[in-house]
Amino acid sequence: MEEDDHLPKPASAAAEDAASSEDLDSALQRKRAAMIERLSNLHQSRLARKPDSESNSTSSFLSRFSDSKSSIESTLSRIRQTADPHSNPTLKSELDNVSMSIADLEKLVAENTFSLPSYEVRTCLKTITDLKQIVEQVTCEVIPRKKFSFKNKSAKKITTQNDIVSEVPIRVENNTANVESENSGFRALDSPGFRGKENEVLVKEFNRGNDEEIREFVLSDLRGCDVRLMGCVRALFVHKLIDCKVYVGPVFGSVLIEEVTNCVFVLASHQIRIHQAKGCDFYLRARSRPIIEDSNGVRFAPYCLKYDGIEKDLEEANLGEETGNWSNVDDFKWLRAVQSPNWSILPENERLDTVDISNRDPKI
Amino acid sequence: MGLLSIIRKIKRKEKEMRILMVGLDNSGKTTIVLKINGEDTSVISPTLGFNIKTITYQKYTLNIWDVGGQKTIRSYWRNYFEQTDGLVWVVDSSDLRRLDDCRYELHNLLKEERLSGASLLIFANKQDIQGALSPDEIAKVLNLEAMDNSRHWRIVGCSAYTGEGLLEGFDWLVQDVASRIYMLD
Repeated sequence: MEEDDHLPKPASAAAEDAASSEDLDSALQRKRAAMIERLSNLHQSRLARKPDSESNSTSSFLSRFSDSKSSIESTLSRIRQTADPHSNPTLKSELDNVSMSIADLEKLVAENTFSLPSYEVRTCLKTITDLKQIVEQVTCEVIPRKKFSFKNKSAKKITTQNDIVSEVPIRVENNTANVESENSGFRALDSPGFRGKENEVLVKEFNRGNDEEIREFVLSDLRGCDVRLMGCVRALFVHKLIDCKVYVGPVFGSVLIEEVTNCVFVLASHQIRIHQAKGCDFYLRARSRPIIEDSNGVRFAPYCLKYDGIEKDLEEANLGEETGNWSNVDDFKWLRAVQSPNWSILPENERLDTVDISNRDPKI
Repeated sequence: MGLLSIIRKIKRKEKEMRILMVGLDNSGKTTIVLKINGEDTSVISPTLGFNIKTITYQKYTLNIWDVGGQKTIRSYWRNYFEQTDGLVWVVDSSDLRRLDDCRYELHNLLKEERLSGASLLIFANKQDIQGALSPDEIAKVLNLEAMDNSRHWRIVGCSAYTGEGLLEGFDWLVQDVASRIYMLD
């Protein structure tokens, strides 16, 4: 409007202008008043409506909640009072049903969190947690956990039965601790491998091109042995070797070595992990960085194995080329920039020459 | 910044999930993450520390924390527990000797209160190896039935080497987490 004033205008129009601006002002004021009234009306109606509808939904929710809560509680106490748990096979499914209705309850609360006052949300969540704890307790009291055992050990089953009876009271007090102590008798070491030998020459040739032979292999509890594995293998597990010499063709998965003392290993693999090794020499070719952990006095040198067809095997396993990773050793017990005192590079004058294992001469 | 863009931003944030991958060393955690992200898995060094990968999966953004499993660094796992939506426990199904260790570490982990709300996916990895135990056998050995029955869990056999089973596992995990935390959508 100010701009209007600056504009040159005919004199006759000036008076008209002033009148219309007054008109405009009053119209604006009327409009504004109307708007304020409208807004306050809206506000009033909202205020009037809101607490009402909110309390309605809150109270209906709370009644639904307490209904299902009491039904869950009564089911639980009924289950708890069942005299002999073994006589009632439906007990487990009943308990499952209870857990499911608790889950439903939880969902109900989650769906209503928007409309509920935060205090109610908190108390409901607390109730749900309590219910879950009770279910847990009842489950422990009523259904003893099954022990895991293999079917062919029929003799063990009898003791398992006894165990259940004697273990029930313990579980109620301390059920999580028992989870780990159970099943410790698991023994099913049926992977192919050499185990528990002393002062022997152990030779294994994996048939090339035969899928069935490409699998894992285990070397464990060997002393003073000379182990020669030719051909590709998928994974190699080495455990508890003393004074052994181990020569292995390409492993196209990983090698895991634990608790070895005074041994020599010649290995090619994608991944190599060495744990608890003492005084061992490793001649390695690896696609990735070898690691050591809890080891000391271990030395590293490049791979130096030979047998008929090793080049083809290495090529097939993607280990045809020297990567230089044999010296990129990570020591998990030495996370510092300076060289770890636990391992070193084997001086060249102390290294083995290329080892040829294709002639089965017991002495190398 | 307009209101709409703020809302969009919040929405985008909501669709994020935090996934923690743990398990013994040599179980194949890093290989699984790289494989599912379509990366080269032929050169993977044992994880010294951790890797983070952000992957868009269906309509969600997964922040996957892949934490090294060597004994020395297992005690640092707990630094990654906070706000975990999905927990992935990876098992080397061919490493029969260390299944006891595996069960011990898993149940130890599940005692952790900060993980009590997380959905648990167990990958019985390395099923491509001949001597690997089946997912059912792994479930028995790990005593999974003994878990708190409010825990959402599932075991899936897989091979990070071939990629088999990985999508099945992640599909379940993502759906389960989504139905829990985004059910207001």
